[in-house]
Amino acid sequence: MAMIQKKLREKTKELLAKKEVDLVIGFSDWTLPLRTTPIFIRTPEGAEHLVWNSFCENNLAAYLHKFSRLKVGVVVKGCDARSVVALNLEKRFPNHPPLLIGVVCQRLVDRKKVKKAVKGEILQAVEQGDLLLVKGENFEVSLKRDDFLYPSCQSCTHRTPHQAHILIGDPVEEVSLVETHPEVGEFERKSPEERWDFFEKETSRCLRCYACREACPMCYCGECFVDSSRPKWIEKSLSPSDLAFYHIVRAYHQTGRCSGCGACERACPMDIRLTYLTQKLNQEVKDLYGFETGIQPEAAPPLSTFDPEDQQGFIK
Amino acid sequence: MKLKLDKKNFEDFLKSLMEEYDLYAPVQPVEGVSVFKKIEQPSEVNLTQLVPQKPAKDIFFPQSEVMFCYEMAGKQSRMNSMEEIKRERILFGARPCDIEAISIIEKIFVGEEYTDVYFLEKRRKTTIIGLGCNHPLSTCFCSSAGGDPFLRAGSDLFFIDLGETYFVELLTEKGAALRKNRFFKEVDPNDLTLVKELEGKAFEKVGYSIPVEGIEKRLDLMTESSFWDRVHEKCIGCAVCTYLCPTCHCFDMVDEALNNKGQRVRNWDSCLFPIYSLETSGHNPRPTGRERTRQRLMHKFNYFPKNFGRVACVGCGRCILYCPVQFDIREALLYASAKRAKGLKRKFR
Amino acid sequence: MKNPYLPIPMILKKAQIETSDRLLRTLELGFKNKEDEESFRFIPGQFCELSILGKGEAPLGIASSPTEKGFLKFTVNKAGVVTTALHHIEEGSEIGIRGPLGNGYPINLFEGKNLLVIGGGFAFTTLRSLVAYFLHPEHRAKVKEITVIYGARMPGLLLYKDELLEWERRNDLKLVTTVDWEDKDWKGKVGLVPNVLEEIAPSSENTSAVICGPPIMIKFTFPKLMALRFPNERIFTSLERRMKCGIGKCGRCNIGHLYVCKDGPVFSYAQLSKLPKDY
Ligand SMILES: Cc1cc2nc3c(=O)[nH]c(=O)nc-3n(C[C@H](O)[C@H](O)[C@H](O)COP(=O)(O)OP(=O)(O)OC[C@H]3O[C@@H](n4cnc5c(N)ncnc54)[C@H](O)[C@@H]3O)c2cc1C
Ligand code: SF4
Ligand code: SF4
Ligand code: SF4
Ligand code: SF4
Ligand code: SF4
Ligand code: FES
Repeated sequence: MAMIQKKLREKTKELLAKKEVDLVIGFSDWTLPLRTTPIFIRTPEGAEHLVWNSFCENNLAAYLHKFSRLKVGVVVKGCDARSVVALNLEKRFPNHPPLLIGVVCQRLVDRKKVKKAVKGEILQAVEQGDLLLVKGENFEVSLKRDDFLYPSCQSCTHRTPHQAHILIGDPVEEVSLVETHPEVGEFERKSPEERWDFFEKETSRCLRCYACREACPMCYCGECFVDSSRPKWIEKSLSPSDLAFYHIVRAYHQTGRCSGCGACERACPMDIRLTYLTQKLNQEVKDLYGFETGIQPEAAPPLSTFDPEDQQGFIK
Repeated sequence: MKLKLDKKNFEDFLKSLMEEYDLYAPVQPVEGVSVFKKIEQPSEVNLTQLVPQKPAKDIFFPQSEVMFCYEMAGKQSRMNSMEEIKRERILFGARPCDIEAISIIEKIFVGEEYTDVYFLEKRRKTTIIGLGCNHPLSTCFCSSAGGDPFLRAGSDLFFIDLGETYFVELLTEKGAALRKNRFFKEVDPNDLTLVKELEGKAFEKVGYSIPVEGIEKRLDLMTESSFWDRVHEKCIGCAVCTYLCPTCHCFDMVDEALNNKGQRVRNWDSCLFPIYSLETSGHNPRPTGRERTRQRLMHKFNYFPKNFGRVACVGCGRCILYCPVQFDIREALLYASAKRAKGLKRKFR
Repeated sequence: MKNPYLPIPMILKKAQIETSDRLLRTLELGFKNKEDEESFRFIPGQFCELSILGKGEAPLGIASSPTEKGFLKFTVNKAGVVTTALHHIEEGSEIGIRGPLGNGYPINLFEGKNLLVIGGGFAFTTLRSLVAYFLHPEHRAKVKEITVIYGARMPGLLLYKDELLEWERRNDLKLVTTVDWEDKDWKGKVGLVPNVLEEIAPSSENTSAVICGPPIMIKFTFPKLMALRFPNERIFTSLERRMKCGIGKCGRCNIGHLYVCKDGPVFSYAQLSKLPKDY
């Protein structure tokens, strides 16, 4: 990882020095342990602030909409690169398609899981090989990194951002650590009633803060359906039916567009499970149409095309 | 008056409160997520999380609240206002920052000309039992923001965790009403020393390093500063930092109606949403993140102090802990203050 | 204690389409309860939240003058949910109002001075209230000369046409109307408000100016007032912002430390020059 970080800084410095881009969006360390923060670099010297580690949890493609008038280089993991491909397909950046600085991802550490594994506030966390050293005021533990990965990262089979213009790190063999996304598996084993109960219990904590929406690169509608007053699709309070409506529609709007990065779930302050829904839909799209988001730059998303050969068995 | 409560009697004590009051306290719907809620069973109460995600303002100014119901009959209507609280309430286990924040919200909701009856009714009928913070988090900066980890102001009773027991102070008339509770015992002098010790440790840990004092004047000069061009960049414009902020008090009012019946509801709102200020014509006076982040910080540290003589931040650290992109308000303050601008160690990120 | 969020019931007594594009409708509301009528005291420039149950509320300037008793008048531009409902509601129906809200025009500051009123489009509502107030025999002597410049895109879009005719006939008021596009019957001026202002060049000597209109008109008129040497302290405007509570609680309408609903909507340019440009 240290090598990757070094190369990342060098490349960024070079891109900015040669003025190939106006801006590089990457990750930097900041005030909280187990986290990084998005950073916006405009000068070659600024590249020194870039970091690469297992806490680079945001999908930086979400910022590209804001900077569509600039030539932007963006640091992307496998999943993030797929989001950009999907956005290009939706013709989001006709003038300046972003330059992808791809990093081969080592899978990310789930900070919420780590927090639950220790008693007391974590003040420092560093990665050492396969280990994660976590320190607090009265404790110091070393954890096995791979036991603390995000669900979406455990099942990831696209860690190498092949679509990137610049690839940092060596391509890896793409294997999932688990059979399916652990929470999708769990969800599938439930009866329809249990599924609904689980869904309702999760969404009942929702604040409608829309961090999940804002963190997602694919949620870029000028007016989200929840904000529209004419027509009014949905009320604004916290009734279970409105919460359910928001979450179902959000998930459906992502079908065939979601790269499974999990940025929505990580953004949620209430620890609400979100990726089991989107990943389940991704799975269905893969099974029905053989399509995975952002793998082939030219393939049109299945829900925006019609082919008489499409499977229709689910229409009853 | 100073008393104490054995922890082994804690649940029975809560039960005794519930005989006469509706009890509100932190609970954990899942591990790692804590909210204030009306308690059905004393065992639900969970004080492990120092700052619950949803602040105690939710008890006085709920995220979603029906203001009045109405019914329409032909061209006439009937309205029924919903402010009345039937039973006295107790808020238990709120921390000093959250309690201080309630008095901040009170400044705006209870005014000379107009009073928010929904807030006031709940405020009047609630006895607040505060809880001292023996182990402040690294993100806490209450002492810099005009409070401290053991601030009694605003509490009617104050609890301090002494390990086996709670040290209890009755601070107001409302608090004194609980004097006769059968579970309270006399304190002994050792307890007082222990309290002093705990306070000392906590004060030291929180420190005074965040430059809140003087920030109002500093920001006066910064309305059009280039600071705003950069500071907002990483903000994605969600409502985490404002919904979860114990002092934020913005709300939206909407009608929800079906056929001839309906209600006017108010919901928390946030100045970081573009739609918050969007006008029907399509004009938005705060068109980008730059103006919206400026509004958030200026409101807390410049506009509110101008109107009410106190910053609208109590240093609880929620906006730091739960922001999806680690916007750190402390760093923004350091940066905005002259100190950081001079000896700039690292760029604002 | 009074609940400031509860509307009081009014009855729609009369409604009338004002303009040729049919987008403006004037509503005349009568009080349903005598007590409400007695306690409702307002000054020109204040506004109310009009409430259509099931739809919501919209802030609207009071277009009638306090000197006109027994009713309140509003002129509504059909824009969104509530304003559309206000266009469809039938005479005899109940409409809730909350108010009067806001500060209103600084009537006392105008006393003893000339008054220059500049309006554009449908923002003329509270200006009408202001002029009608000072034209009332009881108040006419309080201000000296009254000059009104009022412009619209087309003659058909001018509000209160009958009243404008009546004002034209008066000799204690100078009325200049102007349109961007004339029609065959038009007798007023043709041209944009800022240019008309420049042309008639009213003296700023002992004069207060009040200006309301679309942002673009204000933007170009303001420099002309400066050129005429109106000091910032004597130029007033009424601002609009998205509003909800109307009483300084919901937070949404602030410009710096001031709330447009409570501390405004009327501000002097001297005040505005010290605030961020959040409008
Ligand atoms: C002081 C003042 C005086 C005014 N005077 C007049 C006047 O005299 N005549 C006139 O025609 N206009 C006037 N206006 C403008 C008028 O208030 C607006 O045109 C009107 O509020 C539009 O309301 P609407 O319901 O038709 O529009 P909508 O856009 O449908 O808005 C309906 C309401 O809901 C809000 N809203 C819209 N979308 C959402 C959403 N997604 N979520 C939550 N809330 C939403 C709006 O803020 C509004 O409160 C005035 C405004 C102000 C501030
Ligand atoms: S899903 Fe996880 S493991 Fe896969 S590329 Fe994205 S962050 Fe890395
Ligand atoms: S981030 Fe979480 S709390 Fe916020 S809207 Fe999304 S699911 Fe709800
Ligand atoms: S929580 Fe963070 S990202 Fe969300 S609005 Fe606040 S500062 Fe912006
Ligand atoms: S601004 Fe942040 S630290 Fe201050 S009171 Fe609000 S949430 Fe807490
Ligand atoms: S304006 Fe923004 S910062 Fe101020 S109280 Fe409202 S939501 Fe909070
Ligand atoms: S409209 Fe609510 S504060 Fe002004």
